[in-house]
Formats: sequence, structure tokens, C-alpha cells
Amino acid sequence: MGKSTKNSVNRRDFLRTAAAGTAALVVPPAAATATPESARTASSPPLLKAAVDGSLSNVEVLTVDRPGSDFMVDVLKSLNFEYVCANPGNSFRSLHESLINYGGNRAPEFITCCHEESAVGMGHGYAKIEGKPLLVCVHGTVGLQHASMAIYDAFCDRVPVYIILGNFPDAALRFGQVDWTHSAQDPAAMVRDYVKWDDNPVSLEAFAESAVRAYKIAATPPTMPVALVAGHALQEHPVPEGANLTVPKFTMPSPPAGDAAAVAEAARLLVAAENPVLVTDRVARTPAGLASMIELAETLQAAVIDRNGRMNFPTRHPLNMTEHASATVAASDVVAGFEVTDFWSVLNSVNGQVYPESHRVTKPGTKVISITANDLYLKSNYQDFQRYTAVDLAVAADGEATLPLLIEAVKRQMTAERQRAFAERGGKIAVAHQQVMEAQREAAASGWDCSPISTARLSMELWAQIQKEDWSLVSNCQFASRWPLRLWDFQKHYQYIGAEGGYGVGYGAPASVGAALANRKQGRLTVSIQNDGDLMFAPGILWTAAHHRIPLLIVMHNNRAYHQELMQIQVMANQHSRGITNASIGSVLVDPPIDYAKLAQSMGMHGEGPIANPTDLAPAIRRAMAVVKGGDPALVDVLTQPR
Amino acid sequence: MVVRYGKVVVIGLILWVGFGRARAQAPAQKAGDASARGTDSGKRVFSSAGCAACHGAQGQGTALAPPLSPPPLEPQAFVAYARHPTGKMPPVPVATASDRELADVYAFLKSIAPRDSSSERLQGNAENGKKLFLAYGCYECHGHQGAGAAIAPRIGPPALSLAGVLRYVRAPTGQMPPYTAKVVSDQDLADIYAYLKTFPAPPSADSIPLLNQ
Repeated sequence: MGKSTKNSVNRRDFLRTAAAGTAALVVPPAAATATPESARTASSPPLLKAAVDGSLSNVEVLTVDRPGSDFMVDVLKSLNFEYVCANPGNSFRSLHESLINYGGNRAPEFITCCHEESAVGMGHGYAKIEGKPLLVCVHGTVGLQHASMAIYDAFCDRVPVYIILGNFPDAALRFGQVDWTHSAQDPAAMVRDYVKWDDNPVSLEAFAESAVRAYKIAATPPTMPVALVAGHALQEHPVPEGANLTVPKFTMPSPPAGDAAAVAEAARLLVAAENPVLVTDRVARTPAGLASMIELAETLQAAVIDRNGRMNFPTRHPLNMTEHASATVAASDVVAGFEVTDFWSVLNSVNGQVYPESHRVTKPGTKVISITANDLYLKSNYQDFQRYTAVDLAVAADGEATLPLLIEAVKRQMTAERQRAFAERGGKIAVAHQQVMEAQREAAASGWDCSPISTARLSMELWAQIQKEDWSLVSNCQFASRWPLRLWDFQKHYQYIGAEGGYGVGYGAPASVGAALANRKQGRLTVSIQNDGDLMFAPGILWTAAHHRIPLLIVMHNNRAYHQELMQIQVMANQHSRGITNASIGSVLVDPPIDYAKLAQSMGMHGEGPIANPTDLAPAIRRAMAVVKGGDPALVDVLTQPR
Repeated sequence: MVVRYGKVVVIGLILWVGFGRARAQAPAQKAGDASARGTDSGKRVFSSAGCAACHGAQGQGTALAPPLSPPPLEPQAFVAYARHPTGKMPPVPVATASDRELADVYAFLKSIAPRDSSSERLQGNAENGKKLFLAYGCYECHGHQGAGAAIAPRIGPPALSLAGVLRYVRAPTGQMPPYTAKVVSDQDLADIYAYLKTFPAPPSADSIPLLNQ
């Protein structure tokens, strides 16, 4: 970037010089411009006169042609961000302006969000498709407060989001009440418990280094959000005269892979096992992870249980035993977990309604192997790390990076005899898999013609329309009884991206739009089954999708309630034997009914519904798909069964 | 056989055991027919098949197993469960007791139930049951027509007998919340039960084109 040639005068110096003449400067602009120069010089107040005749040199320079935020943009461009999602805020106004003008609003392109939670949620969904972080700018204090739940979700989900937050660190440079209110001594403190790293650089040199460091930290497994503070003066004031600023070279570290001896021992246990089970959750960070999981499972002819934190294993693969998980684990002699968040719950069962009682479901002597980057980094305060899992072999490493090493180790240790045993085992699992799939189909038939529409019917009507497209389901389908995962043919990494991570409601809609943004350039048909309560947290995300022409097919799972909570209140009312007819108070969304089609239309989107008759669903989905294929988002509101 | 995704040729008999939707052979005698010959046969089989060892000679239940008189399941579900039970209950193979003999056992267990038990006494009102089904929040987990969901089984039409429902809702297992008599009376439950009985059995998946994609 070029050097500034303008005088650098700070506001404090100007005020000291000009204080005496301030009142006199308040001249109507029209009057000032209409007055001939000679007359103006003769009759002007002393300060204005001095300014005109050049005798006053210490006056505020009102323009800056080399703000620090321009250099910040240079740094951010070196990190190859495609987009920056933000709700505007004056604590990062200079950076905002530099991004759209100096940076040309390209790489990153500014995406206007109506809520900071939406901005971070978009980054969350985007990263799970794209495999890299999105840039998010948030306003100091209030903006970060809005963003915090979404940051927590991304943290729990081990997803990198790159957050820059504005601040007014120098009290002397705050212009008034609002600046004070939007300032903090330690702005990132409120999210420090659930970001991997944060920094508050006080010079542009430090900003550059911290910015590059932050990216490396965020994107190295275990991946998590990071937060970088950009002080307002650092952004707005000119780059200091003579500053020798450089953009540090960015080199992405290789992910941590498993220790060779530990990997060999894991291979030994797996090869020797009669009934090994591979449990996956967030192991497939990229398509390579999915391919590796398939190769490992097929090499061992071992059953796979996918916890679906990512798209780790094809749903119709003959070795997929996800829908028969408990019995499969109970029959195993080696259980290997790959980036499993709650491994304890795979190995144990919890009973009881008032007090939890647990018991181990595995047979005595069953060996347990854990491969996870979560063993490398934990925070203390928030308890997302789950219950401690007693294992026989713990490999503290990234699962995806370790898989190729493990596959090679398994192949080295395999004998012809073991291969024959593997083949026999694989055949039995394939038969069991077919039985499981048949059971899913039969279960889906129950309530097929119901109105409100069953979630199985909704899922299969949608599947009928999209299965021949290059589709990507970007919503968590747990609340729709997981029907897509039970019935659809998931094969590709981008076809499922898991859930919110922290179970924070409000993730679904923005994460879907963020994922759709990443899918857009690939021409994929992005689909979400959108929960009504989730959308109502910040429905402005629909406007963002419409404004930026982000194609996304939204099919509402409109069960007219915060249904999980409705059930919880009912459980409490039952436990307390106080009658349950009031359980809906505070947990349903029925009076008045919310018209999501009109909500979408009001945001500039195609919207139709509500649809209660299952036979009306297919034509509505087809109409909406035509809109999406044209490059715009569309919403179909469906009145559904609760689950 | 080595399983490769997309290339698998599964050789072997696929056993249609059901995984949660057990299919039973149609009993030659409708289970629950309480002819004298049936109950006598049922009593004999109940003992010879080993049922009494855990459930008690009169099906009254023991520390090992729950009471079976009156039977907690509807007749067809009773037979299906005996073939594919859950928990510690061992399966009853056809070689031990045919479907006909299990139907006799059912008739026997029904015949020895106290005549004044609630399930025998109560007459359900389906119309009122529909209102109660919604008011008491049954639909929240089981769906508006009792079709079930991932979190709760299908209950329309019910697999449990009314006696089984009366017993289960007072002391449920798993995530089902307890409904005490203070909250839901036996008559209310009989009405809800009558409403659930109005639903037909679900269609087979094979008959639905969208489930054959």
C-alpha cells in the first residue's frame, strides 16, 4: 500500500488549539460558501481567518488516505477469506469501509447480516462445507454479546470461525456515550471460555502477526473459533509515518497425526478383534476423512456406527450399523472411537428419570480405543467435554490425519487367515444392515397419510424430488426423527454437516444459509429441513439469503412449538403430579399461528404454505426447487407431526 | 464375501426378524379366544414352556419378571413379543410353543385375571379419548395419530392391552413420564385407549412407492 502524504494531527491536539474559537466556527455552510473570499477574510472570526490565510497549521486533518484498516485488509486478503459476514457497527466502521472500498468488496465480499448470531452461524455452516473459516466482524460489547451463543455452538462443534471485534480502547478517543457503552477493557473476555485463542494487538505490526497466527490456530485440529480485537484508532488513524509494515507469510501447519507406536497398537487390536466396531462422530473434516473411513471399514470388514457430527460414512453402506448401535456395541470386543464427542454414552446406558443410573453396555474385556484431537486441547469452565471415558488406548491426534496411518498399519498386520475371517464377518454385517434398513422403511410407513404431516413423509417427499440432483442437506435432522439419515442415500461429504454442537437453538437457519453460500459456487442444490422455533430466533437471515441470492430450499418442520421443551415441561408436571394441561404455557407457538410463507415473502423470498395435506407437498417442493435452481432461496411451510 | 460399497452382492438369507416391528405368523386360533379347551391347553403350555418359572404359576409376576395376568399386550403383539423379546426374556421358539399354543396361553392368562380388574370393567369412549389424547400431551411424543417417532413408539393401534396400558403408564420405563391416577384416571386411559384402537395398522412399506426409492 502507498504511504500517506497527509499531516498526522490527532484529535486532542486539534481541540487544544481550536477550543477558543469553536463556537465561532459554527457557520451555516451555505452562508460560508456564498460569501466572496475577500469579504470572508475581513469579517471572519480569528480562527477561521487563520485557517483561510494559512497562519494556523495545527488544525485537524479531516481526511486520511492511509488508514490502518487498509493494512488490515491487506492482511486479511492474504488469508483468502471469501466472505465477511457482519451486522454493521461503528467500532469496526473503518475496517468495514476499507473492506468494501479499498478491498473492492471481493475476497472477502461483505455479507449483510441482521444479527451477529446469524453472522457467526453462517460462518459455522460455511466452514463445515468449505473446510476453512469465514471472517465475521462484530461490534464491540453488544455485537459480541449477540454473537456469543453462536460462537459457543461453533466451539462445541469444533468448527473454526474467524472473528474480529471492534473496540474503543483509548478512553480519550471516545466521542461520546455510545462509544463508552460499546467499549471494554478486555473485549474478548466474555467469549474466552469458548474460543481457542484471542488477542488484543495494539499496533498494526502486532495485528498482522496475530491475524495470521489466529487463522493457523483456528484451522489446526482441534479446530475452533478465534477472536481478534481491532481497536478503533488502530483502524481509523493513519498508518504511522515511516512504518515498515509487512504481511507475514502464512503457512498452514500439518494436522497432528497419531504416534506410530500407538497407531500400531490400535491396528493390532483391530486386526485381532472378532467383532470390532468403528464409531465416528466428527472425524471427516474433509472429503478425505470420509474416504479413509470407508477404506478402514472395508479393510477390516467392521461395523460402523456414525454419530453424524459430520458425514463420516455412507448411510446405505452394508457395514453401516448406525440404526442398530446399542446391540452392535454390546456384541463387540473392540470399540474404536474416531473424534467421538460423547464416547462415554456409546459405551454406557443411562436409565432413570429423576436420578440417572448408568451401566456399561460393553462385554467385560472389550477393548476401547480413542483417537481424538480433543485430548490435545480442552477448556475448563464450560462442560462440553462430556463425561470422562475410560479407554485402553488413547491416541491424542486428529482422527482424519491419523486414519491413513492406521489403514497402513492394519494392512501390514493382516494375514490371509484374518482376511478370510474379515470377509465372513462382513457378509454377516451386510445381512444385518439390510434387516435394519427394512425396519426403518416399515417404521416410516406408520402415520404415512397423517395430517399434520409425518416427518417420515416429509423427508421422503423431499428425497423423491432431490435424489437425482447434486444435493446437500445442511440442517440437523434430529428433531425430524432423523428420517433422512435413516432412509436417504448419503454418499458425499457435503451431503450432511451435523448439528449445532452446543445444542443452542438458533443455529439452524443461519448455518444453513452459510452452508448454502459455500455450496453456491459448486452449483449444488442446498436443502434444509428447518425447525420453526429455531427460525424464530433470528428470521432476518431469510433476508440475507434473498439479498445475496443464496440458493437454498427451506422445508419447514413446523410443529408449532419449542417441542423439546414442551416435552420437558410435561415430564416435570407428571413427576410433580400436578396435572399436565398447562404444559403448553410458555412452550408452544400457536396463537396466533406463524405464517412462515408470508414471513419469507416479506423478506423477498418465494414462500408457500402452510401445507397440511401430504399430497400437496410434492408439487410445492417442485415449485420451490425451480426457484432455487434459478439462484434464489425458497421456503415451503409444512405443518408437521411433533417429531 | 468381502463387502465393498456400491459393489456388494449379499449372498445369504435375509431374516425378516423385524427389528422393532416383529411379524408373527397368523395364529390359527385367534389369540384370546377363551374356550375351555384353549385355556386348558394354555395353562399346560404356560408351565411346560417355562413361562411360569419367571412370571409365576398364575402369571402374577415375580422378582424376575412382570405379571402377565391380565396380559399386558394385545394378542398378536403378545405372540410377536414371545418370538422376539427384549431385555432378559428368552425367545420362545416355535418348537417350544406354536402360535396356536401361545394363543392358548393368552386365553389362559386372560381367563384367570380378576373379574373386577379395571381393564375388565372399563368401557372406553373414543370421542372423549381423542380430546384427552391431545389435552394430556400424548401426541407430543407419539404423534397426533399415535404413529410414533424416533423418541417414542407407535401406539395407534396399541400393541399393549388396556391392562398393559393401565399398568405401564403408572410406572413407565425409559423416557416415558409417569402418569399418576391423580393426573389421569383409569377411565381417562380407557377412553384414550378406545381412541387409539380406532386407528388401522400402518400400511406395509412395500405398498408405498416413496419408501421403495
